[in-house]
Amino acid sequence: MRRQLLLVAGAALLALAGLGVVATLRPAPAPGIDQVAAQVAAELRCPDCQGLSVAESRTAAATAIRAEIAELLADGASAEAVRQHFVDRYGAWILLDPPNPWAAWIPALVIALGLLIAGWWVLARRPRSSPAPRPAGAADAAVRRELEELDA
Amino acid sequence: MNRLRWLLVPVVVVPVAWLLFTGLGRDPRDIPSPLVGRPLPVLAGTTLTGEQFSTVDLVGTPMLINAWASWCIPACVIEHPVLMDAARRHAGELALVGLMYQDTVSGARAFLARYGDGGWPHLLDPDGRMAVELGITGPPETFFVDAAGIVRAKNIGPLTEADLDRLLPLIGVAR
Repeated sequence: MRRQLLLVAGAALLALAGLGVVATLRPAPAPGIDQVAAQVAAELRCPDCQGLSVAESRTAAATAIRAEIAELLADGASAEAVRQHFVDRYGAWILLDPPNPWAAWIPALVIALGLLIAGWWVLARRPRSSPAPRPAGAADAAVRRELEELDA
Repeated sequence: MNRLRWLLVPVVVVPVAWLLFTGLGRDPRDIPSPLVGRPLPVLAGTTLTGEQFSTVDLVGTPMLINAWASWCIPACVIEHPVLMDAARRHAGELALVGLMYQDTVSGARAFLARYGDGGWPHLLDPDGRMAVELGITGPPETFFVDAAGIVRAKNIGPLTEADLDRLLPLIGVAR
C-alpha cells in the first residue's frame, strides 16, 4: 500500500514537472495590435511637449501620431517599421531611447583610457633618478685592509 | 611629476578642444531634417478659403511650405512680412503654401486680416496628420522644395531675408 502511494506521488510529481516544462517552452502568445501600438507610442517622444512620450501626452501631435501608429500596424507594418516611419520624418530625436552611434567606440575608449592611466601610474612610481654611488667610507677601507692581510 | 602633466593633453585637453571646435561652429537653428533630399510628402486638403488643394498641382514650380499658427506670436508675426515680400518679388516663379498648425479657422483668418493676406493657399490640418508627415515640432517651420518636388532645406524659426538669400538658390530661385 505504501509503495503504491509512493508510485502515485512520484507519477504526480513527474506529471507536474512535465507540465512545467511544456508551459515554459511554449511560445508566449503574440501581443495584440493594441499592445504593440501602446509599446511603440511609449517609445516615441511627444513632438510638442517636453519630457513625455506619445503614449503619455494628450496634445494634438501625440494624438495624431497615436492614430498613425494604429493605422500602420493595422496595415500590417511591424513595430520596427512603424518606429522607422517616424524616424524618417522627425529624425532619431523622436525616439526616447535613440541608438547611440558612439556605443561601439566605448570599449575602445575605456581600454585606451585604462592604458593611459596605467602608464601614468607606472611613470609616477618609477624613481626619479638612480641613487649616487656611496663614497667609500671607513668600513670599506677596513674590509679592504683585511682582505689584503689574508692575501699576504 | 612635471612630465606627467603632459598626459593631461591627450586625456582632457584634446577631447575638450575637439568638442569646442566642432560644437561652436554650428548654427543652433540648423537642425537637419530627414526629409531633406527626399520628395515632399503629398499635402492635400481644404484651404482656409474652403477650396480643395494639393501640392501635387505645384510640381514643376519651386515652393515654400510654411507651417504657422495665429497663436505663434511673435515668431509668425515677425516672419509674415518676409513671406509677403518673397511672394511679391518672386510671383510666378515661387509658390507659397501655408500649413495651419493646431489652429482654428477663425484665428487664422483674423491673423491674415490683421497682418496681410498674400493670397497663397493655407491648408487646414484638423487632425495634425500633415504636420506629422513633415515632422513639425512647432511653428514656424519652412520647407524649401525645388521644382522636382524634392525638399532641399528646412528652416526652423522665423524666416529672415538672410535665410531667403541663403536657401532660395538651393531650389533654383535667384535672389
